[in-house]
Amino acid sequence: MSNEQPVSNSLIDSINDQPGPPRRKLLGWLVAGINLIVGGVVLGPVLGFLGSPLGRKTKGMWVPVLGLSEIQDGQTREASFTMQIKDGYALVDRKYTVFLHRSGEEVIAFDPACTHLGCRINWVGEKDRYFCPCHGGVFGKDGSVVSGPPPKPLEQHPVKVENGQIFVQKNV
Amino acid sequence: MAEILTPERPVEKTPLKPEEELLVDRPKLSDWLELRLGWWGFVRKNLDEPMPPGVGWWQTLGNLLMTLLMFQFITGFALAMFYTPSAHDAYASVKHITEEVALGSFVRGLHVWGSTIIVIFTVLHILRVFFWGSYKKPRELTWLVGVVIFNVILGFSFTGYLLPWDQKAYWATVVGTRIAATIPVVGHDLLVLIRGGEEVGALTLTRFFALHVMLLPAALMGFMALHLFLVRKHHIAGPVLPQKGKPVPFYPVQLFKDAVVVLGGMGLVVYLALAFPPALEAIADPSGTDFAPRPEWYFLGLYELLKIMPAGWEVVATMIVPGLVSMGMLFLPWLDRSPSRHPARRQWVIVTGCAVVLLIGIMTLKGILETPPPGAHGHKAAALKGSAPSAEAVRQAAEPPATAP
Ligand code: FES
Repeated sequence: MSNEQPVSNSLIDSINDQPGPPRRKLLGWLVAGINLIVGGVVLGPVLGFLGSPLGRKTKGMWVPVLGLSEIQDGQTREASFTMQIKDGYALVDRKYTVFLHRSGEEVIAFDPACTHLGCRINWVGEKDRYFCPCHGGVFGKDGSVVSGPPPKPLEQHPVKVENGQIFVQKNV
Repeated sequence: MAEILTPERPVEKTPLKPEEELLVDRPKLSDWLELRLGWWGFVRKNLDEPMPPGVGWWQTLGNLLMTLLMFQFITGFALAMFYTPSAHDAYASVKHITEEVALGSFVRGLHVWGSTIIVIFTVLHILRVFFWGSYKKPRELTWLVGVVIFNVILGFSFTGYLLPWDQKAYWATVVGTRIAATIPVVGHDLLVLIRGGEEVGALTLTRFFALHVMLLPAALMGFMALHLFLVRKHHIAGPVLPQKGKPVPFYPVQLFKDAVVVLGGMGLVVYLALAFPPALEAIADPSGTDFAPRPEWYFLGLYELLKIMPAGWEVVATMIVPGLVSMGMLFLPWLDRSPSRHPARRQWVIVTGCAVVLLIGIMTLKGILETPPPGAHGHKAAALKGSAPSAEAVRQAAEPPATAP
């Protein structure tokens, strides 16, 4: 600035009249402390608020999915069911799918999410295998990894059979 | 000639001292403003910014990107006026925009295609700076802030992709967010934080929306201002080998080239928006089993990398490789410490850079060729569809889960 104004000179003079170094330092620290408190009062609760989904608990729910007579011994089939869940603020009817495999009186239920990165797997009956459309994951009918990148077998849901009705437990 | 083309300070006849100017009864508006804002010095300084000889078309990309990003802000603002960020209504509102609102498909097309074009030109901009070695002292921070901006732009793509809430959006986000879960130890918590719950749902959409329209734009503006400030502070680096001649002012020659490139870039976006209107697929269906997820095309390289990783090694593709590339980019000016900007004098940097670009290019191409085009589905399941019990029966069996405060 070439055009110095008298005003600014007197401003600088008055700054130079301010308390000496030790007091200035102390006041500086106090300002920093106050800013920390003010920032913390806002940021702390906001972070807690954003992190709230971490504290959400899920619980297992038994849902009827299929009659036992609707699946033959040795067969694998898809079964869908709808359940009401709380999706954030909304109560919604969400449709879910599981793959059921029956051997004798025993039924196992596989989650259709590929254990690699969660794409939906497909059951291909002629090949007796599950195929993932994403990165080439292949699972056997017992849920084990046959080939591709999935790191672990298909996830299972607890199953119970009561009065000829297959129930699957789903965490919501 | 130059006299006519160069804007002059509005009035320069009898320069008054500031105290005197304050006393003038009825100053001209431009003088009134100049006294209060001092804007003319700023404008003049930027128009007179010296361009070293050899600066030309390659240096227009920054201006193009800034303009395209500004247009994203404008079209995004317009879309937000009609959009509803709720899992229940998002799809319907985008459908309404696309099919019923006047020029809706066009405005959405500008936004969608704009994002793709921005990614392409950002990569070109980065490559130009890389090969010219323009990131070297004293421009290290300009480069670093630029890399941060690139990541912010990718963040925009990732969060924006979910907003239409169609099948493509939903499943790409299911897979994309699952990448976080591959991180050892904290992966699952991170996944829940990003999704706002265990599954991609209503809270994922609101989170992504908030990031897309509030946090990321604010971050982008801040970093862009810093980037520009640094570019002006250190001036343009110029060609690797200094060329003969004197620097010329930014205005009018370079600004004209910038304007031509902006016109071309915008023309391309407008053409794409008209010729290939943005699609909207079926509404997101978490239970659907016959949908093959596809990420945005520029993430396909990563998607391909995931295919070739053996079981248990996915963290290499999801974290280690992208992490190394990002870190390498961020700290490039400190990795390549040779004072010379000439490509021949920094061979290992150039070779590594070319190899990385080539690999990403090959993987992306492979991904584009192997990923089913829009509308195609994965293997059709041979299994019979199970009959669903009535929603009423389920409703009685289920009750809303406990939610912690
Ligand atoms: S998600 Fe199934 S193989 Fe990657």
